[in-house]
Amino acid sequence: MVVLTAILVGLLYITLPYSGAAETSLRFVTWRPQPPWLWDQAIADFETAHPGIKVVREVGPHSSTEFHDLVAQKLKNGDAEMDVFFMDVIWPAEFAAAGWALPLNKFFHTNEQKAFIEAPILANTYQGQIYGVPLFIDAGMLYYRRDLLEKYDFSPPGTWPELVRQAKIILAKEKDPYLTGLSAQFKQYEGLICNMMEYISSNGGELWDGPTLKATLHLAKAKEAVRFVRDQIIREISHRGVLAYQEPESLALFTQGKAIFHRNWPYAWEAANDPKRSMVAGRVGVTRLPSFPSGKSVAALGGWQMAISRFSRKAELAWKFVAFMTSEEMQKRIALHAGRAPARKELYSDREVLKKNPQFSSQIEALMQAVPRPRTPVYLPLSNIMQRYFSSAIAIPDSNIDQLAGVAARDMNRVLDLLRERPRP
Amino acid sequence: MKGSNDPVLRFLAPSFLFVALFSLYPIIESFRLSLYRMILTLPWLGQKFVGLENYQDLFGDPVALQSLLTSITFVAVTTPIEVLLGLGMALVLNESFRGRGWLRAIVLVPWAIPTVVASQMWRFIFNDRYGLFNFVLFGDATDRYWAPLAEPGLALLSIMVADIWKTSSFAALIILAGLQAIPRELYEAASIDGASAWQKFRLITLPLVKPALLLALLFRTIDALKVFDLVFVMTQGGPADTTNVLQFYGYKKSFAEGMIGYGSAIAVAVFSLSLILALVYIRLLGARLLAREQRA
Repeated sequence: MVVLTAILVGLLYITLPYSGAAETSLRFVTWRPQPPWLWDQAIADFETAHPGIKVVREVGPHSSTEFHDLVAQKLKNGDAEMDVFFMDVIWPAEFAAAGWALPLNKFFHTNEQKAFIEAPILANTYQGQIYGVPLFIDAGMLYYRRDLLEKYDFSPPGTWPELVRQAKIILAKEKDPYLTGLSAQFKQYEGLICNMMEYISSNGGELWDGPTLKATLHLAKAKEAVRFVRDQIIREISHRGVLAYQEPESLALFTQGKAIFHRNWPYAWEAANDPKRSMVAGRVGVTRLPSFPSGKSVAALGGWQMAISRFSRKAELAWKFVAFMTSEEMQKRIALHAGRAPARKELYSDREVLKKNPQFSSQIEALMQAVPRPRTPVYLPLSNIMQRYFSSAIAIPDSNIDQLAGVAARDMNRVLDLLRERPRP
Repeated sequence: MKGSNDPVLRFLAPSFLFVALFSLYPIIESFRLSLYRMILTLPWLGQKFVGLENYQDLFGDPVALQSLLTSITFVAVTTPIEVLLGLGMALVLNESFRGRGWLRAIVLVPWAIPTVVASQMWRFIFNDRYGLFNFVLFGDATDRYWAPLAEPGLALLSIMVADIWKTSSFAALIILAGLQAIPRELYEAASIDGASAWQKFRLITLPLVKPALLLALLFRTIDALKVFDLVFVMTQGGPADTTNVLQFYGYKKSFAEGMIGYGSAIAVAVFSLSLILALVYIRLLGARLLAREQRA
C-alpha cells in the first residue's frame, strides 16, 4: 500500500505543472521518508533560506530494488529534469562507472569528508572520486525481547548457535504458537544479501573476494553458514513466513510481541519503543549481531546518500540543496525524529541526540565497524545471482547446497570476468 | 476485394504509420540490440556486435530455461481455467433475470481494478500472519497457518489464483459478446423440435460461440505469457526463483542489471513465442470464419 501511494503521489508530482516561471526549480527524486512532516519542514526551510528556489519532489517506491530501477532509468535516458536523488550505499560504483552520478570532489572536500564515518565515505568513493554525501547510515542490529530473556535468565546471545539454543528453550516453555524465534529478512530481494552476508562473514567467509575478483560462496566457510541458516534458523526456530519478509513485515511481527529475536536496521529501535506502534515498547533490548564461535560479529552496512545527476543543468544549485540536507543540523533532526543513525561522527556525542536515542551509544561500535558489500559496477548482476542461490538454499528444506553454491560461484565468476576486460580503444 | 488504388492507401497510411512508429520500430530496435553486447554499467566495454551469441547464451542459460518453463506452466494452468470460468459466467449473464445489469457490472470489477492494486491486495490476502486466506481456512488455529508466498511449492500457485480471479471476467466479456450474436430463432426452432437444454447447448451454443472462445483463449494466452506485474508486486521472482517468469527475468536483466543486449534477446524470445501462438490461433479462427462464409 505504501508503495502504491508512493507511486500515485509520484505520478501526481510528475503531472503537476511547474508553478511560477520566475522561480528556479530543483527536482529531487526520493522515496517517501518517515515521518513526512520532517522532510516537508526541511525542504520548506531550504526554500526560505534560498528565495527563488523551489524544490519539486518526485516520490518513488520505497524498496531499494524498485527505486534503483526508477533512478537508473532516468539516468540511462540522460534525463535533465532530475537534479538530486537518493542513492543506496551499494550504487555509487555502478552510477560512477556508468557516468551517471556527478563527481562531487569540487564541492565535497577531503577535509569535509573527515567529519563523516569512514565506511559510508569509502562506499561513496570510486576510483578516487566521491559521488554521494551520506545522509544516514544503517547497520544490522540484533533486537531482542528483554523481558523474555530475563525471565529465562539469559544474557543476549554472542553466537548464532547460542541464539538458536535460547530461542528453542523459550519457544518450548512459552508454548505460544504465535511466537517465532527470529524474525529477519529472508525474502528473495536485496535485504537477503545483507542478512546472509552477516552469517557468512561472521563465520570467516565472504560474498566474493574484492581484490582478486573471485567467487567465494562455494568455499566451506560460506556454505557452512548457509547450511546453518537453513537447518537451524528456518527449520528450528523461525516459522516459514520469514521467507517472504522484507523489513516492514519482520518488524511488525516483532512489535506485535510475536518474535523473540529480530534483525533490523537502527530505525527499528524508535518503532519498537513507540507505545503507539509497538506492544513491546520498553521491553526491547538491542545489541550487536551474533557471530559464529570462530568468527567475529559482522553488521552489513546500509544507508542512503544524496547524489547529483550528471545530466543536471543546475549542479551548483543542486549542491546547495545536498549540502543543506546533509548538514549537521539536518542529520540531527533526522536522528531525533526518525531514529536514523547519523553519518556525521560528532552527533554521536551530542547530548540531545543520545538522550532521545540511547541505543546509539551501544550501537556506535557496530555502526563504525559496519562492513560494506563489496564495491563494483556489476553489483546488481552479482546480487541477483546471490539472491537466487540464497533463496533456493534456505527455502527448500533439502536443497543441495554444494551444487547450488557451485552454480552460483560459476555464474559470479563469469560476471566478475567482465571487469578484467580491457577497455576498447 | 478491389486492387490497391490511391484512396485506399491514403486512408490506410495514418494507421500504418502509427503501428510502424509504436510497434514495428521498437520490435526491430529490440532485435537489433539483441545482436550486441551492451552493458550499461561498463560503458568502456562499448557496444560490441556479437551476432547470435546472446541467443546461444539464452538457450544454454538454465535460469532462462527454468523461467520459460515457469511461464509455460503459468499459461497452461491459468488460460483454460479462465476461459472455462468465463464461459460459465457468460452463460449465466446471457440469461435474462432481475438484476442482470448489476451482476454484469459486478463481474467486471476484478478486471477493472488496476493489476498493481489487485496484486497488492492478494499479497495481503496470502500474508502468513494476518492474511484472509489463512483466517478463512484455519480460523484461530495459527499453528496451522500457511505462508503461500514463502513456499517454493505454493508461490506460483498463489499468483495463478490471483490471475484467474483478475482476468476470468475479461474472458467472460468476450464470450458474452459471442453468445449475444447467436440468433434466438435457432433456440426456438430447437425447442419446437423437442431438443433438451443440453442438446441446445452442445449443438447450437457451443459451435456458434467457438470463435469467441478461441478469441478469449488467444488474448488470455498472450497476456499470460507476458505476466509481469503480479510477480513484480507479489514475489519479486522468489522464493527459490520459483515465480521468476521469463518476462520478469528479462526485465531484471535489462532494467536492473543494465545488460541491454541479453535483456533484449529475452524480450525478442517472448515476442516470438507470442507471435507463434497468435499465428496458430488466428489460423484456427480464420479457418473457422472462412468455413462459415463458404457455408453461407
